[in-house]
Amino acid sequence: MTALARPLARRPAAGAIEGQEAVLIGVIALLWAALGLSVDTFFTASNLQNILATVAPVTIIGVGMTAVIVTAGIDVSVGSAMAVVMVIVARQLRDGGLAFAPAVGLALLIGALLGLVNGALVAYLRVHPIIITFGTLNLYRFVALEIFDGREVAGVPGTLGPLGGGAEGRTLGLPHSWVLAVALAALMWAYMRHVPTGRHLYAIGGDAEAARLAGVRVTRRLLGVYALTGLLAGLAACCVIGGGGLVAQSAGTGMELQVIAAVVIGGTSIQGGRGTVLGTVLGALLVGTVTSAVTLLGWPNELTSLFIGVFILVAVGSDLLRERRRRSL
Amino acid sequence: MTTTAEETTRDGQAVKRPSLPARLGRLLLHDRVALLCLLLVVLVAWMQVLDRGGYLLGPYDAAYMAAALESFVPLCVLALAETLVILSGRGGIDLSVGAMVSLTGMAFGFMVGEWGWPLWPSLAAALAFGTALGAVNGFLVAVLGFPSLIATLATGYAYSSLALVSNDNAPISTKPIQDLHELTSMVDLPFGLPPVPEQFFTFLIPCVALVWLLLNRTAFGRRLYAVGTNETAARYAAVSVSGTRFRAFALAGLLSGAAAIVTVGQFASARPDAGTVGNGMALPAITIAVLGGVAITGGAGRVGGVVLAALLVVWLNAGILLYFEGSAGARFQLLALGLLLVASTSLNAPAGRRRRRRRGPAGRTAGRA
Repeated sequence: MTALARPLARRPAAGAIEGQEAVLIGVIALLWAALGLSVDTFFTASNLQNILATVAPVTIIGVGMTAVIVTAGIDVSVGSAMAVVMVIVARQLRDGGLAFAPAVGLALLIGALLGLVNGALVAYLRVHPIIITFGTLNLYRFVALEIFDGREVAGVPGTLGPLGGGAEGRTLGLPHSWVLAVALAALMWAYMRHVPTGRHLYAIGGDAEAARLAGVRVTRRLLGVYALTGLLAGLAACCVIGGGGLVAQSAGTGMELQVIAAVVIGGTSIQGGRGTVLGTVLGALLVGTVTSAVTLLGWPNELTSLFIGVFILVAVGSDLLRERRRRSL
Repeated sequence: MTTTAEETTRDGQAVKRPSLPARLGRLLLHDRVALLCLLLVVLVAWMQVLDRGGYLLGPYDAAYMAAALESFVPLCVLALAETLVILSGRGGIDLSVGAMVSLTGMAFGFMVGEWGWPLWPSLAAALAFGTALGAVNGFLVAVLGFPSLIATLATGYAYSSLALVSNDNAPISTKPIQDLHELTSMVDLPFGLPPVPEQFFTFLIPCVALVWLLLNRTAFGRRLYAVGTNETAARYAAVSVSGTRFRAFALAGLLSGAAAIVTVGQFASARPDAGTVGNGMALPAITIAVLGGVAITGGAGRVGGVVLAALLVVWLNAGILLYFEGSAGARFQLLALGLLLVASTSLNAPAGRRRRRRRGPAGRTAGRA
């Protein structure tokens, strides 16, 4: 086990903050400074709270997605999984009068189950995860629409408000959901960095076969990371329901792309074996900042995805350059 | 699964011939075209039974099936685009085809509907525009070395955003664009065949023929399979790996351009979200390519399988619409697509299992040079 843990500890560049994170912090600082100078409403409490609250669900799922991508996998079904959780939980909140804790528990349970299905298919079918999760993306969306039954869920009570973006979702001005996201990210960061089974994720991403021969329980780890991602999708669904109101059929659409964007902007290699949760937190923050900036500057909202696309290219491109330089040294 | 008797034995014992059912089972398992043909026959026969029994909302006859080919054309063309990209290996995949359809459609809309260009130069320019969008993907992936999943995710974001911004989120449906609808009218066929959408002949057959010829009758096709199968070996054989892969992406752009023109004609309007609304066009296209037997690891896959898979999906979807009332049909199409994808990949798994048995679990082999 220590043999796996050691190489990273010995690498001098592998401080707590690696290359990509430092760059990201710089870029975010620059963006914030520029926005603060050009838009006087940017550095208001409500705007910053708004950014953090919108970023929270992406960050939460990103924590699991980072682990999945580190194992050289991917999960594009999270948006549909969220939709399933949202419709069931919203229905239960409205019609069953579910309390806070059981509602969150139910969400986590459903999410984890859906994730486990992905994990089992990926681990046992031996097919590339993107294909499997494309399949389950459609399946889960079907399940969600079937439960919606042609009607959106309206009038959801604010039971999950403490996780939402409203006033009751904040303590000392900080949105609970984002604090929760950061706490989860910190836990995951420590797990992936210091716990043997966490190190195994990197080994699987580096070379699954070599990892298996070295005694890593590949199947079990894969089941674990996909189930975790599903569970976190359930938690993110709770944050999105938040103060209640309306849950529409389109819930969760496009979430997978936002999460994957946050993860790769955060410097996690899509080929597996490299990346940190810290980067993902920053990547999500960058995406959130860009979204908010486009709105504040009065540009058309559709431009947001153009910027996200460009940021992905720049982030991955700079990573490729660093990689090339490392190799040529 | 049917068992096959051992094929050879080293110590010279009698070699048992597999029984006929076993051979048939193997054929269906290993030859995707045969399996898809069987599934198509089963589907049509089943729909006929449902039709006779009065379970359907309308007749599932030849005319209906021919009319359903309208949605077959763009889907099949995009699946062929995905085929080229996936064949090129190293985890090749193009998530941006839907966005390319949107953006090229808008460009075509501007040319014809706003700037009043004549039809033929606009067609050529739209195809060139699509090719250029694909070439951007190709440049990022083949030359700069971006993983194709990431590169096309990013360009997909960018293209769809540009398509939406280009005309302030509004479709272009001026008179010249509406006249394009004639490009996609139904044409009557001789010999009592039902009328078929015109784009079946003007777009689909040329596209299928182009891809088939490229893959099976040109040096580029051989190189593409070589690069997809084993990049290093291809490089040692003096094949330009990046050039070949670049061309695969550019061709995917060209085909997306063709699909965009067809889509504009069908809607009689250039919609900025034509290829990206809902789950978009990329996911179904990838699904069909995989269902058609294209290995996601690259280097294996045939045009015939992809065309049959597209036909299967389209006729299945058409049948589902007749079976379920209201919005339930669209829902069950999602279910069918998802089940088909998971089922077809799990069918791929036993075919490759014998080779991979010693290589342990964790089904990842793609994405690695």
